[in-house]
Amino acid sequence: MSFQFPAPIPAQAGIGLRSHHFREILEAPPPVAWMETHPENYFGEGGAPLRILERIRARYPLSFHGVGLSLGSTDPVDHAHLDKLKSLIDRFEPAFVSEHLSWCSVGGRFFNDLLPLPYTPESLDHVCSRIEEVQDALKRPLLIENITRYLTWRDSTVPEGEFMAKAAQRTGCGILLDLNNVYVNAVNFHLDPLDVLRAIPAQAVWEIHLAGFDRVGRWLVDTHGQVVYPEVWSLYQWAIDHFGPRPTLIEWDTNMPPLVVLVDQAKQAGAILGGCHAAAL
Amino acid sequence: MPRLCETQRAFAEAVTEGWPQAVVTMIAPEASALRSVALYRRLIRNNYVQVLKITYPVLHRFVGEQYFGIVARGYIRRHPSTSGDLFTYGRHLSVFLHELQVSSLLVELARLEWACHEIHQAADSTPVSQEHIQAIASVDSSRVTVRFHEATRLLSFPIPVHRVWLALQPDAPADKVVDLPLPEEETSVVVTRVCGKVQVTPLAKPDYLMLEALSQGADLASVEWIAIESDLEFDFQRLWATVLNLSLISGFSVKETS
Repeated sequence: MSFQFPAPIPAQAGIGLRSHHFREILEAPPPVAWMETHPENYFGEGGAPLRILERIRARYPLSFHGVGLSLGSTDPVDHAHLDKLKSLIDRFEPAFVSEHLSWCSVGGRFFNDLLPLPYTPESLDHVCSRIEEVQDALKRPLLIENITRYLTWRDSTVPEGEFMAKAAQRTGCGILLDLNNVYVNAVNFHLDPLDVLRAIPAQAVWEIHLAGFDRVGRWLVDTHGQVVYPEVWSLYQWAIDHFGPRPTLIEWDTNMPPLVVLVDQAKQAGAILGGCHAAAL
Repeated sequence: MPRLCETQRAFAEAVTEGWPQAVVTMIAPEASALRSVALYRRLIRNNYVQVLKITYPVLHRFVGEQYFGIVARGYIRRHPSTSGDLFTYGRHLSVFLHELQVSSLLVELARLEWACHEIHQAADSTPVSQEHIQAIASVDSSRVTVRFHEATRLLSFPIPVHRVWLALQPDAPADKVVDLPLPEEETSVVVTRVCGKVQVTPLAKPDYLMLEALSQGADLASVEWIAIESDLEFDFQRLWATVLNLSLISGFSVKETS
Protein backbone atom coordinates (compact mmCIF):
# COMPACT_ATOMS: atom_id res chain seq x y z
CA MET A 1 0.00 0.00 0.00
CA SER A 2 1.36 3.46 -0.76
CA PHE A 3 0.14 6.83 0.39
CA GLN A 4 0.21 9.77 -1.97
CA PHE A 5 0.83 12.35 0.74
CA PRO A 6 1.59 12.07 4.42
CA ALA A 7 -1.62 12.81 6.28
CA PRO A 8 -0.96 15.85 8.49
CA ILE A 9 -1.34 15.48 12.23
CA PRO A 10 -3.98 17.91 13.47
CA ALA A 11 -3.57 19.91 16.69
CA GLN A 12 -5.81 17.35 18.38
CA ALA A 13 -5.34 14.41 20.71
CA GLY A 14 -4.11 10.99 19.64
CA ILE A 15 -3.09 7.78 21.35
CA GLY A 16 -0.08 5.48 21.33
CA LEU A 17 -0.64 2.40 19.19
CA ARG A 18 0.38 -0.81 20.97
CA SER A 19 -0.19 -4.44 19.94
CA HIS A 20 -2.24 -4.98 23.10
CA HIS A 21 -5.01 -2.90 21.49
CA PHE A 22 -4.75 -4.09 17.87
CA ARG A 23 -7.91 -6.17 17.96
CA GLU A 24 -10.02 -3.52 19.70
CA ILE A 25 -8.85 -0.84 17.26
CA LEU A 26 -9.55 -2.94 14.18
CA GLU A 27 -12.97 -4.05 15.42
CA ALA A 28 -14.14 -0.61 16.55
CA PRO A 29 -11.84 2.24 15.48
CA PRO A 30 -11.76 4.68 18.38
CA PRO A 31 -12.67 8.38 18.01
CA VAL A 32 -9.13 9.77 18.23
CA ALA A 33 -7.48 12.12 15.76
CA TRP A 34 -4.22 10.21 15.17
CA MET A 35 -1.94 7.46 16.41
CA GLU A 36 1.73 7.09 17.16
CA THR A 37 3.84 3.95 17.27
CA HIS A 38 7.40 2.75 17.79
CA PRO A 39 8.77 1.97 14.31
CA GLU A 40 11.13 -0.69 15.75
CA ASN A 41 8.06 -2.85 16.38
CA TYR A 42 7.63 -3.10 12.61
CA PHE A 43 11.23 -3.78 11.58
CA GLY A 44 10.36 -7.37 10.65
CA GLU A 45 10.11 -8.24 6.96
CA GLY A 46 6.48 -9.36 7.01
CA GLY A 47 3.67 -10.84 9.05
CA ALA A 48 0.64 -9.53 10.87
CA PRO A 49 2.15 -6.39 12.50
CA LEU A 50 2.86 -4.73 9.16
CA ARG A 51 -0.53 -5.65 7.73
CA ILE A 52 -2.30 -4.33 10.82
CA LEU A 53 -0.32 -1.10 10.65
CA GLU A 54 -1.37 -0.70 7.00
CA ARG A 55 -5.03 -0.99 7.99
CA ILE A 56 -4.63 1.50 10.81
CA ARG A 57 -2.62 3.88 8.64
CA ALA A 58 -5.39 3.85 6.05
CA ARG A 59 -7.70 5.28 8.69
CA TYR A 60 -5.56 7.51 10.93
CA PRO A 61 -2.69 9.96 10.49
CA LEU A 62 0.40 8.31 11.91
CA SER A 63 3.54 9.37 13.74
CA PHE A 64 6.71 7.31 14.31
CA HIS A 65 8.36 7.60 17.71
CA GLY A 66 11.74 5.85 17.65
CA VAL A 67 13.44 4.37 20.69
CA GLY A 68 16.52 2.67 19.24
CA LEU A 69 18.54 5.16 17.24
CA SER A 70 20.77 6.15 20.17
CA LEU A 71 20.94 9.71 18.93
CA GLY A 72 23.39 10.94 21.57
CA SER A 73 25.76 7.97 21.46
CA THR A 74 29.43 8.49 20.65
CA ASP A 75 29.32 5.29 18.58
CA PRO A 76 28.77 5.76 14.85
CA VAL A 77 25.12 6.01 13.75
CA ASP A 78 23.74 2.52 13.12
CA HIS A 79 23.01 2.76 9.41
CA ALA A 80 21.36 -0.65 9.26
CA HIS A 81 18.84 0.66 11.81
CA LEU A 82 18.48 3.90 9.90
CA ASP A 83 17.89 2.04 6.62
CA LYS A 84 15.10 -0.01 8.18
CA LEU A 85 13.55 3.17 9.56
CA LYS A 86 13.79 4.87 6.19
CA SER A 87 12.10 2.04 4.34
CA LEU A 88 9.31 1.99 6.92
CA ILE A 89 8.89 5.75 6.53
CA ASP A 90 8.73 5.38 2.75
CA ARG A 91 6.04 2.73 3.14
CA PHE A 92 3.83 4.38 5.76
CA GLU A 93 4.60 8.08 5.31
CA PRO A 94 4.16 9.18 8.91
CA ALA A 95 3.56 12.89 9.44
CA PHE A 96 6.17 13.04 12.25
CA VAL A 97 9.29 11.02 12.98
CA SER A 98 10.68 11.56 16.45
CA GLU A 99 13.53 10.24 18.60
CA HIS A 100 14.73 10.84 22.13
CA LEU A 101 17.39 13.32 23.13
CA SER A 102 19.38 10.59 24.83
CA TRP A 103 21.83 7.78 24.19
CA CYS A 104 21.48 4.05 24.68
CA SER A 105 24.68 2.45 23.39
CA VAL A 106 28.43 2.72 23.64
CA GLY A 107 31.22 0.47 22.41
CA GLY A 108 28.70 -1.55 20.41
CA ARG A 109 26.75 -2.50 23.50
CA PHE A 110 23.13 -1.40 23.79
CA PHE A 111 21.15 -0.70 26.96
CA ASN A 112 17.82 -0.14 25.19
CA ASP A 113 16.92 2.56 27.68
CA LEU A 114 16.87 6.33 27.44
CA LEU A 115 20.07 7.55 29.10
CA PRO A 116 20.74 11.22 29.80
CA LEU A 117 23.36 13.29 28.07
CA PRO A 118 25.45 15.82 29.98
CA TYR A 119 24.14 19.19 28.84
CA THR A 120 27.45 20.63 27.71
CA PRO A 121 28.60 22.50 24.59
CA GLU A 122 30.42 19.30 23.51
CA SER A 123 27.20 17.24 23.80
CA LEU A 124 25.26 19.91 21.94
CA ASP A 125 27.75 19.91 19.05
CA HIS A 126 27.73 16.13 18.99
CA VAL A 127 23.97 15.67 19.10
CA CYS A 128 23.38 18.41 16.51
CA SER A 129 25.72 16.71 14.06
CA ARG A 130 23.93 13.39 14.69
CA ILE A 131 20.50 14.97 14.19
CA GLU A 132 21.73 16.46 10.92
CA GLU A 133 23.13 13.09 9.82
CA VAL A 134 19.80 11.40 10.54
CA GLN A 135 17.76 14.15 8.91
CA ASP A 136 19.97 13.94 5.80
CA ALA A 137 19.51 10.18 5.64
CA LEU A 138 15.75 10.33 6.20
CA LYS A 139 15.35 13.43 4.01
CA ARG A 140 12.98 14.97 6.51
CA PRO A 141 13.10 16.86 9.80
CA LEU A 142 13.22 14.93 13.03
CA LEU A 143 11.51 15.75 16.32
CA ILE A 144 13.58 15.33 19.49
CA GLU A 145 11.96 14.48 22.80
CA ASN A 146 13.10 15.48 26.28
CA ILE A 147 13.57 12.45 28.55
CA THR A 148 13.33 11.73 32.26
CA ARG A 149 16.62 11.42 34.06
CA TYR A 150 17.53 9.98 37.42
CA LEU A 151 20.87 11.75 37.71
CA THR A 152 22.44 15.09 36.89
CA TRP A 153 25.85 15.07 35.27
CA ARG A 154 28.26 17.20 37.27
CA ASP A 155 29.58 18.97 34.17
CA SER A 156 26.15 19.91 32.76
CA THR A 157 26.31 23.65 32.23
CA VAL A 158 23.46 24.29 29.81
CA PRO A 159 19.88 24.21 31.21
CA GLU A 160 17.79 21.45 29.60
CA GLY A 161 15.26 23.77 27.92
CA GLU A 162 18.03 25.91 26.47
CA PHE A 163 19.88 22.80 25.25
CA MET A 164 16.79 21.61 23.38
CA ALA A 165 16.02 25.05 21.98
CA LYS A 166 19.58 25.38 20.66
CA ALA A 167 19.48 21.91 19.10
CA ALA A 168 16.22 22.82 17.33
CA GLN A 169 17.56 26.18 16.20
CA ARG A 170 20.83 24.75 14.84
CA THR A 171 19.39 21.70 13.05
CA GLY A 172 15.87 22.77 12.11
CA CYS A 173 14.43 19.80 13.99
CA GLY A 174 11.21 20.09 15.97
CA ILE A 175 10.69 19.45 19.67
CA LEU A 176 8.43 16.77 21.02
CA LEU A 177 7.72 18.13 24.47
CA ASP A 178 6.96 15.41 27.01
CA LEU A 179 5.26 17.18 29.88
CA ASN A 180 5.23 14.14 32.12
CA ASN A 181 9.02 13.98 31.77
CA VAL A 182 9.32 17.69 32.56
CA TYR A 183 7.21 17.17 35.69
CA VAL A 184 9.02 14.00 36.83
CA ASN A 185 12.44 15.67 36.48
CA ALA A 186 11.18 18.76 38.31
CA VAL A 187 9.96 16.71 41.28
CA ASN A 188 13.01 14.42 41.38
CA PHE A 189 15.47 17.32 41.30
CA HIS A 190 13.44 20.09 42.98
CA LEU A 191 13.24 22.25 39.86
CA ASP A 192 10.59 24.59 38.49
CA PRO A 193 9.04 22.82 35.48
CA LEU A 194 8.18 26.17 33.91
CA ASP A 195 11.89 27.01 33.63
CA VAL A 196 12.21 24.29 30.97
CA LEU A 197 9.07 25.35 29.12
CA ARG A 198 9.90 29.06 29.11
CA ALA A 199 13.27 28.35 27.49
CA ILE A 200 11.68 26.71 24.45
CA PRO A 201 10.34 28.92 21.63
CA ALA A 202 6.73 28.15 20.70
CA GLN A 203 7.49 27.56 17.03
CA ALA A 204 9.91 24.75 17.93
CA VAL A 205 7.21 22.71 19.71
CA TRP A 206 5.56 20.45 17.16
CA GLU A 207 4.07 17.80 19.42
CA ILE A 208 3.29 17.16 23.08
CA HIS A 209 3.32 13.88 25.04
CA LEU A 210 1.31 13.14 28.15
CA ALA A 211 1.66 10.02 30.30
CA GLY A 212 1.61 8.71 33.85
CA PHE A 213 4.42 7.87 36.26
CA ASP A 214 4.98 5.60 39.25
CA ARG A 215 6.81 6.14 42.49
CA VAL A 216 9.84 3.88 43.07
CA GLY A 217 11.48 4.68 46.40
CA ARG A 218 12.42 8.35 46.41
CA TRP A 219 12.01 8.63 42.65
CA LEU A 220 9.14 9.34 40.35
CA VAL A 221 9.72 7.00 37.41
CA ASP A 222 8.37 7.56 33.92
CA THR A 223 6.62 4.19 33.50
CA HIS A 224 3.79 5.17 31.13
CA GLY A 225 1.64 2.88 33.21
CA GLN A 226 -0.90 5.23 34.83
CA VAL A 227 -3.38 7.93 33.89
CA VAL A 228 -2.00 11.44 33.50
CA TYR A 229 -1.62 13.02 36.94
CA PRO A 230 -3.50 16.23 37.84
CA GLU A 231 -0.22 18.14 38.20
CA VAL A 232 0.72 17.17 34.62
CA TRP A 233 -2.73 18.19 33.34
CA SER A 234 -2.13 21.61 34.94
CA LEU A 235 1.25 21.84 33.22
CA TYR A 236 -0.45 20.88 29.95
CA GLN A 237 -3.03 23.66 30.36
CA TRP A 238 -0.17 26.09 30.92
CA ALA A 239 1.73 24.76 27.89
CA ILE A 240 -1.27 25.00 25.56
CA ASP A 241 -1.99 28.54 26.75
CA HIS A 242 1.67 29.43 26.23
CA PHE A 243 2.56 27.56 23.00
CA GLY A 244 -0.90 27.29 21.44
CA PRO A 245 -2.68 24.06 20.48
CA ARG A 246 -0.34 21.23 19.48
CA PRO A 247 -0.88 17.59 18.44
CA THR A 248 -0.97 15.79 21.77
CA LEU A 249 -0.39 12.13 22.44
CA ILE A 250 -1.50 9.94 25.34
CA GLU A 251 1.34 7.44 25.85
CA TRP A 252 0.85 4.14 27.66
CA ASP A 253 3.39 1.29 27.64
CA THR A 254 3.09 -0.78 30.82
CA ASN A 255 0.18 -2.06 32.88
CA MET A 256 -1.94 -1.72 29.74
CA PRO A 257 -5.58 -0.77 30.39
CA PRO A 258 -8.58 -1.28 28.06
CA LEU A 259 -8.47 1.02 25.03
CA VAL A 260 -11.35 3.09 26.38
CA VAL A 261 -9.09 4.43 29.16
CA LEU A 262 -6.68 5.88 26.60
CA VAL A 263 -9.56 7.28 24.59
CA ASP A 264 -10.95 8.98 27.72
CA GLN A 265 -7.54 10.49 28.44
CA ALA A 266 -7.36 11.73 24.84
CA LYS A 267 -10.81 13.32 25.32
CA GLN A 268 -9.51 15.18 28.38
CA ALA A 269 -6.59 16.49 26.36
CA GLY A 270 -9.03 17.37 23.57
CA ALA A 271 -11.12 19.43 25.99
CA ILE A 272 -8.08 21.53 26.89
CA LEU A 273 -7.09 21.89 23.23
CA GLY A 274 -10.69 22.82 22.32
CA GLY A 275 -10.82 25.37 25.12
CA CYS A 276 -7.72 26.99 23.72
CA HIS A 277 -9.33 27.18 20.26
CA ALA A 278 -12.38 28.83 21.80
CA ALA A 279 -10.24 31.30 23.72
CA ALA A 280 -8.29 32.14 20.58
CA LEU A 281 -11.50 32.83 18.67
CA MET B 1 35.82 17.78 32.38
CA PRO B 2 35.46 14.22 31.00
CA ARG B 3 34.77 13.85 27.31
CA LEU B 4 31.30 12.64 26.34
CA CYS B 5 32.63 9.23 25.28
CA GLU B 6 34.38 8.81 28.65
CA THR B 7 31.16 9.63 30.47
CA GLN B 8 29.24 7.10 28.42
CA ARG B 9 31.86 4.38 28.92
CA ALA B 10 31.98 5.00 32.68
CA PHE B 11 28.20 4.80 32.88
CA ALA B 12 28.19 1.57 30.84
CA GLU B 13 30.79 0.04 33.16
CA ALA B 14 28.70 0.94 36.19
CA VAL B 15 25.49 -0.45 34.75
CA THR B 16 26.85 -3.64 33.22
CA GLU B 17 29.70 -4.59 35.52
CA GLY B 18 28.50 -2.99 38.74
CA TRP B 19 31.65 -0.85 38.94
CA PRO B 20 30.32 2.65 39.67
CA GLN B 21 33.61 4.14 40.97
CA ALA B 22 34.39 6.11 37.80
CA VAL B 23 30.88 7.30 37.07
CA VAL B 24 29.93 8.49 40.57
CA THR B 25 32.60 11.19 40.36
CA MET B 26 30.83 12.49 37.25
CA ILE B 27 27.38 12.72 38.85
CA ALA B 28 26.26 15.83 40.69
CA PRO B 29 25.80 15.32 44.43
CA GLU B 30 22.19 16.55 44.54
CA ALA B 31 21.00 12.93 44.56
CA SER B 32 22.94 9.88 45.68
CA ALA B 33 25.01 8.81 42.67
CA LEU B 34 24.99 5.20 43.82
CA ARG B 35 21.21 5.22 44.09
CA SER B 36 20.91 6.72 40.63
CA VAL B 37 23.14 4.07 39.09
CA ALA B 38 21.28 1.35 41.00
CA LEU B 39 17.96 2.63 39.64
CA TYR B 40 19.26 2.59 36.06
CA ARG B 41 20.66 -0.92 36.54
CA ARG B 42 17.27 -2.05 37.76
CA LEU B 43 15.28 -0.35 34.98
CA ILE B 44 17.58 -1.69 32.25
CA ARG B 45 17.60 -5.23 33.65
CA ASN B 46 13.81 -5.28 34.14
CA ASN B 47 13.35 -4.14 30.55
CA TYR B 48 15.37 -7.08 29.20
CA VAL B 49 13.64 -9.56 31.52
CA GLN B 50 10.32 -8.26 30.18
CA VAL B 51 11.51 -8.67 26.59
CA LEU B 52 12.55 -12.27 27.28
CA LYS B 53 9.18 -13.00 28.92
CA ILE B 54 7.37 -11.72 25.85
CA THR B 55 9.60 -13.74 23.51
CA TYR B 56 9.49 -16.92 25.60
CA PRO B 57 5.98 -16.96 27.12
CA VAL B 58 5.74 -20.77 27.27
CA LEU B 59 9.10 -21.19 28.94
CA HIS B 60 8.14 -18.46 31.41
CA ARG B 61 4.88 -20.20 32.18
CA PHE B 62 6.61 -23.57 32.48
CA VAL B 63 9.37 -22.64 34.94
CA GLY B 64 7.57 -19.84 36.82
CA GLU B 65 8.48 -16.25 37.64
CA GLN B 66 11.35 -16.86 40.02
CA TYR B 67 13.32 -19.39 37.99
CA PHE B 68 12.72 -17.49 34.77
CA GLY B 69 14.03 -14.34 36.45
CA ILE B 70 17.24 -16.11 37.50
CA VAL B 71 17.80 -17.51 34.02
CA ALA B 72 17.00 -14.17 32.39
CA ARG B 73 19.43 -12.25 34.59
CA GLY B 74 22.18 -14.76 33.79
CA TYR B 75 21.40 -14.47 30.10
CA ILE B 76 21.45 -10.68 30.20
CA ARG B 77 24.94 -10.74 31.72
CA ARG B 78 26.24 -13.27 29.20
CA HIS B 79 24.52 -11.88 26.12
CA PRO B 80 24.28 -8.09 26.16
CA SER B 81 22.13 -6.41 23.55
CA THR B 82 23.93 -5.27 20.42
CA SER B 83 21.05 -3.56 18.65
CA GLY B 84 18.52 -0.81 19.08
CA ASP B 85 15.96 -3.26 17.72
CA LEU B 86 14.89 -5.52 20.57
CA PHE B 87 13.19 -8.02 18.25
CA THR B 88 16.51 -9.81 17.87
CA TYR B 89 17.25 -9.90 21.60
CA GLY B 90 17.14 -13.36 23.16
CA ARG B 91 18.13 -15.41 20.12
CA HIS B 92 20.81 -17.31 22.09
CA LEU B 93 18.63 -18.41 24.99
CA SER B 94 18.45 -22.08 23.99
CA VAL B 95 22.26 -22.23 23.65
CA PHE B 96 22.61 -20.47 27.00
CA LEU B 97 20.28 -22.99 28.65
CA HIS B 98 22.21 -25.85 27.06
CA GLU B 99 25.44 -24.46 28.51
CA LEU B 100 23.77 -24.32 31.92
CA GLN B 101 23.09 -28.06 31.55
CA VAL B 102 19.44 -27.67 32.52
CA SER B 103 16.77 -30.15 31.41
CA SER B 104 16.81 -30.60 27.63
CA LEU B 105 13.05 -29.94 27.67
CA LEU B 106 13.80 -26.29 28.57
CA VAL B 107 16.49 -26.04 25.90
CA GLU B 108 14.19 -27.40 23.20
CA LEU B 109 11.19 -25.34 24.31
CA ALA B 110 13.38 -22.25 23.96
CA ARG B 111 14.44 -23.34 20.47
CA LEU B 112 10.83 -23.84 19.44
CA GLU B 113 9.76 -20.48 20.88
CA TRP B 114 12.56 -18.60 19.12
CA ALA B 115 11.45 -20.16 15.81
CA CYS B 116 7.87 -19.00 16.51
CA HIS B 117 9.20 -15.52 17.33
CA GLU B 118 11.11 -15.32 14.04
CA ILE B 119 8.24 -16.68 11.97
CA HIS B 120 5.87 -14.07 13.41
CA GLN B 121 7.62 -11.33 11.42
CA ALA B 122 9.30 -13.34 8.64
CA ALA B 123 8.91 -12.06 5.09
CA ASP B 124 5.59 -12.59 3.32
CA SER B 125 5.46 -14.57 0.12
CA THR B 126 2.68 -15.81 -2.12
CA PRO B 127 1.87 -19.53 -1.81
CA VAL B 128 2.46 -21.56 -4.93
CA SER B 129 -0.63 -21.74 -7.15
CA GLN B 130 -2.53 -24.85 -8.21
CA GLU B 131 -1.72 -24.02 -11.84
CA HIS B 132 1.96 -23.97 -11.05
CA ILE B 133 1.72 -27.31 -9.25
CA GLN B 134 -0.12 -28.86 -12.21
CA ALA B 135 2.43 -27.47 -14.64
CA ILE B 136 5.34 -28.86 -12.66
CA ALA B 137 3.75 -32.32 -12.53
CA SER B 138 4.58 -32.82 -16.21
CA VAL B 139 8.29 -31.99 -15.70
CA ASP B 140 10.93 -34.67 -15.05
CA SER B 141 11.06 -34.75 -11.22
CA SER B 142 14.85 -35.11 -11.18
CA ARG B 143 15.02 -31.52 -12.51
CA VAL B 144 12.63 -30.01 -9.96
CA THR B 145 13.58 -28.43 -6.62
CA VAL B 146 11.29 -26.47 -4.32
CA ARG B 147 11.61 -23.09 -2.65
CA PHE B 148 10.33 -22.96 0.89
CA HIS B 149 8.34 -20.02 2.19
CA GLU B 150 10.44 -17.58 4.30
CA ALA B 151 7.96 -18.15 7.11
CA THR B 152 8.73 -21.86 7.42
CA ARG B 153 11.03 -23.56 9.93
CA LEU B 154 11.57 -27.31 10.13
CA LEU B 155 12.69 -28.39 13.58
CA SER B 156 13.64 -31.75 15.01
CA PHE B 157 14.12 -32.33 18.72
CA PRO B 158 15.79 -35.07 20.74
CA ILE B 159 12.64 -35.18 22.88
CA PRO B 160 8.98 -34.50 22.06
CA VAL B 161 8.39 -30.89 23.14
CA HIS B 162 5.38 -30.06 20.98
CA ARG B 163 2.79 -31.45 23.36
CA VAL B 164 4.28 -29.55 26.32
CA TRP B 165 4.40 -26.35 24.24
CA LEU B 166 0.74 -26.84 23.32
CA ALA B 167 -0.36 -27.45 26.91
CA LEU B 168 1.33 -24.23 28.06
CA GLN B 169 -0.29 -21.87 25.55
CA PRO B 170 -1.94 -18.84 27.20
CA ASP B 171 -5.39 -20.04 26.12
CA ALA B 172 -4.84 -23.65 27.25
CA PRO B 173 -6.72 -24.77 30.36
CA ALA B 174 -4.62 -24.20 33.47
CA ASP B 175 -5.25 -27.70 34.81
CA LYS B 176 -4.31 -29.48 31.58
CA VAL B 177 -2.27 -32.63 32.31
CA VAL B 178 0.41 -33.78 29.89
CA ASP B 179 0.78 -37.56 29.96
CA LEU B 180 4.32 -38.88 30.31
CA PRO B 181 6.16 -40.42 28.63
CA LEU B 182 5.52 -38.25 25.62
CA PRO B 183 4.97 -39.97 22.26
CA GLU B 184 8.32 -40.40 20.60
CA GLU B 185 6.94 -39.91 17.12
CA GLU B 186 6.29 -36.25 17.95
CA THR B 187 9.88 -35.09 17.84
CA SER B 188 9.62 -33.09 14.61
CA VAL B 189 7.55 -30.03 13.78
CA VAL B 190 7.13 -27.44 11.11
CA VAL B 191 6.56 -23.84 12.24
CA THR B 192 4.57 -21.78 9.76
CA ARG B 193 2.37 -18.72 9.61
CA VAL B 194 -1.22 -19.24 8.54
CA CYS B 195 -3.41 -16.15 8.10
CA GLY B 196 -0.89 -14.12 10.08
CA LYS B 197 -0.88 -16.53 13.02
CA VAL B 198 2.08 -18.71 13.93
CA GLN B 199 1.23 -22.40 13.76
CA VAL B 200 3.25 -25.38 14.99
CA THR B 201 2.39 -28.68 13.31
CA PRO B 202 3.89 -32.02 14.37
CA LEU B 203 5.44 -34.07 11.58
CA ALA B 204 6.01 -37.80 11.31
CA LYS B 205 9.74 -38.52 11.19
CA PRO B 206 9.73 -39.67 7.52
CA ASP B 207 7.81 -36.53 6.50
CA TYR B 208 10.31 -34.38 8.33
CA LEU B 209 13.23 -36.10 6.63
CA MET B 210 11.66 -35.61 3.16
CA LEU B 211 10.94 -31.94 3.81
CA GLU B 212 14.38 -31.37 5.29
CA ALA B 213 15.99 -32.89 2.19
CA LEU B 214 13.85 -30.69 -0.04
CA SER B 215 14.68 -27.60 2.00
CA GLN B 216 18.38 -28.38 1.52
CA GLY B 217 18.00 -28.42 -2.26
CA ALA B 218 17.39 -32.09 -3.05
CA ASP B 219 15.32 -32.62 -6.20
CA LEU B 220 11.92 -34.31 -6.09
CA ALA B 221 13.16 -37.57 -7.64
CA SER B 222 15.89 -37.98 -5.00
CA VAL B 223 13.42 -37.36 -2.22
CA GLU B 224 10.97 -39.88 -3.65
CA TRP B 225 13.78 -42.41 -3.77
CA ILE B 226 14.72 -41.76 -0.12
CA ALA B 227 11.07 -42.26 0.83
CA ILE B 228 10.64 -45.52 -1.06
CA GLU B 229 13.90 -46.86 0.34
CA SER B 230 12.73 -46.23 3.88
CA ASP B 231 9.10 -47.24 3.39
CA LEU B 232 7.65 -48.87 0.30
CA GLU B 233 4.18 -47.71 1.32
CA PHE B 234 5.14 -44.05 1.80
CA ASP B 235 2.16 -41.90 0.85
CA PHE B 236 3.34 -38.93 -1.20
CA GLN B 237 -0.21 -37.64 -1.74
CA ARG B 238 -0.59 -37.18 2.00
CA LEU B 239 2.75 -35.39 2.30
CA TRP B 240 1.88 -33.03 -0.57
CA ALA B 241 -1.50 -32.32 1.00
CA THR B 242 0.33 -31.26 4.19
CA VAL B 243 2.75 -29.14 2.19
CA LEU B 244 -0.05 -27.35 0.35
CA ASN B 245 -2.39 -26.97 3.33
CA LEU B 246 0.35 -25.31 5.35
CA SER B 247 1.59 -23.22 2.39
CA LEU B 248 5.13 -24.40 3.06
CA ILE B 249 6.51 -23.71 -0.37
CA SER B 250 6.54 -20.57 -2.43
CA GLY B 251 7.71 -21.97 -5.76
CA PHE B 252 9.64 -24.47 -7.83
CA SER B 253 12.87 -24.29 -9.74
CA VAL B 254 13.50 -26.40 -12.83
CA LYS B 255 17.10 -27.22 -13.69
CA GLU B 256 18.10 -26.75 -17.30
CA THR B 257 18.77 -29.94 -19.23
CA SER B 258 22.37 -30.27 -20.35
